Amino acid sequence: MSKSPTQVLVVDDEEDLELLVRQKFRRRIRDGDLKFLFAHNGKEALEVLQEHPDVYLVLSDINMPVMDGLTLLSQLADSDKDVQAVIVSAYGDMKNIRTAMNRGAFDFLTKPIDFNDLEATIEKGLKHVQALQAALETRDRLVAVKQELEMARDVQMSFRPKEIPNSKTHDIKGIILPAREVGGDLYDFFYIDESRIGLVIADVSGKGVPAALFTTVTRALLRASSSKDYSTPGECLTIVNELLCENNPSCIFITLFFGVLDLRNGELHYSNAGHNLPRLLRADSRVEVVPKTNNVVLGIQPGHTYNNGQVQLRPDDTLFLYTDGITEAENLQDEEFTETRLDQSLAELAGVSSERVATKIVDVVRDFAGDAPQSDDITCVVTRFRPGAS
Amino acid sequence: MEEKAKLSVETEDGDRATILIVTGRVDGSSVGILESAVQEQINAGKKTLVFDFKDLSYISSAGLRALLIAARLTQKEGGKALFCALADHISEIFEISGFNEILEIHDTRANALGAL
Repeated sequence: MSKSPTQVLVVDDEEDLELLVRQKFRRRIRDGDLKFLFAHNGKEALEVLQEHPDVYLVLSDINMPVMDGLTLLSQLADSDKDVQAVIVSAYGDMKNIRTAMNRGAFDFLTKPIDFNDLEATIEKGLKHVQALQAALETRDRLVAVKQELEMARDVQMSFRPKEIPNSKTHDIKGIILPAREVGGDLYDFFYIDESRIGLVIADVSGKGVPAALFTTVTRALLRASSSKDYSTPGECLTIVNELLCENNPSCIFITLFFGVLDLRNGELHYSNAGHNLPRLLRADSRVEVVPKTNNVVLGIQPGHTYNNGQVQLRPDDTLFLYTDGITEAENLQDEEFTETRLDQSLAELAGVSSERVATKIVDVVRDFAGDAPQSDDITCVVTRFRPGAS
Repeated sequence: MEEKAKLSVETEDGDRATILIVTGRVDGSSVGILESAVQEQINAGKKTLVFDFKDLSYISSAGLRALLIAARLTQKEGGKALFCALADHISEIFEISGFNEILEIHDTRANALGAL
């Protein structure tokens, strides 16, 4: 919260207003409850405000030499300062008072000044200033948070892998449809060597900037651990897990599937750290589950050794990796898309290109969800194995 | 907000533990309810918590994280957190994520209390 404002600038070329204020408010001035600054014309007032940027309430006379009160008001309105002005004018001087109000004055007082009215007006002015300050602060914070989230999303999205061109042996397509809030899904694919390709899908617990940072770090660690002396997916995950656990006081964790497809023979070696079980769509339309490897999610269990699994891909088989943004997508009736619907949809897509499978599944999920808001990232990575295709 | 409350947490004070009966869905939008219920118990000096999940219909990764934090917080106080009566589909989530190895899980509330 902003500190409640207590400072008031009094602008008058004659001494009577200053004297009245000093005398009548002497106790509150002594107690530090209120603080007054004084200027003798509009120009001086602007100088004082320049020097004291924390003054937001001005009490000003109209008729003054050098710069009058109405000009001061116009100058204040043109400046980017959020200063509120109370204008003091002779009783019956309705024309000037109207002008002052039209130029943005907050309130007015008439001479001779009634002390109670003066005090009430100052109190009201300070309260108004405080409310304005609080509203501005809230707005600024919201803008900052929004920018921060947008930056986090940009960073996260910029880390998507470069498309791997379709080749004679495989084609790969990854899609991520981010939810409105920056989410924590990740996919990646990269060559480990000229005959093996690494395939990654992951989902971090939670959302927002911490989740986005965590996925970005995980992706970098996994790539690093797979590039040098690569042995098995499980060993890579064991290393990555150790590094993630080292400094994770907020218990963020990530579910991740890491598969390595050997393009020479169709062997898929993989390790699954607590992620949804991927699907293997056979060329004959059967949909199989890629079996569990009994591992723990990454980031919370130091010392865990990640097990490996292995499945065999045959020509025109398709590996489908996905996050729960697909199976848990909800429609307006609060029904989930479910694994059953996923498997049924996949069964109709045997043998077609990875791009077609990925876009079709995402379309089916979106059709299912209809107008229901998307609460989680929708992500999949599709790989078709097609040795000997021309 | 017309949305029906999708998560509620009731507590029962027992001799050896506080039972938290979690009903409904724990996901990103409701997990705060569970987190504050846990924090309230810890603040009240309760350090042994038994989570009864018989009426838990769904738990997301954000929810699992809250359970993990509950386990860590109780451990730090010298107590522990136990979880019981998971429906089959909840059990499956625990198995796939490996949380059945990290958290102490029992078939029934009686078994959980018996393990204390």
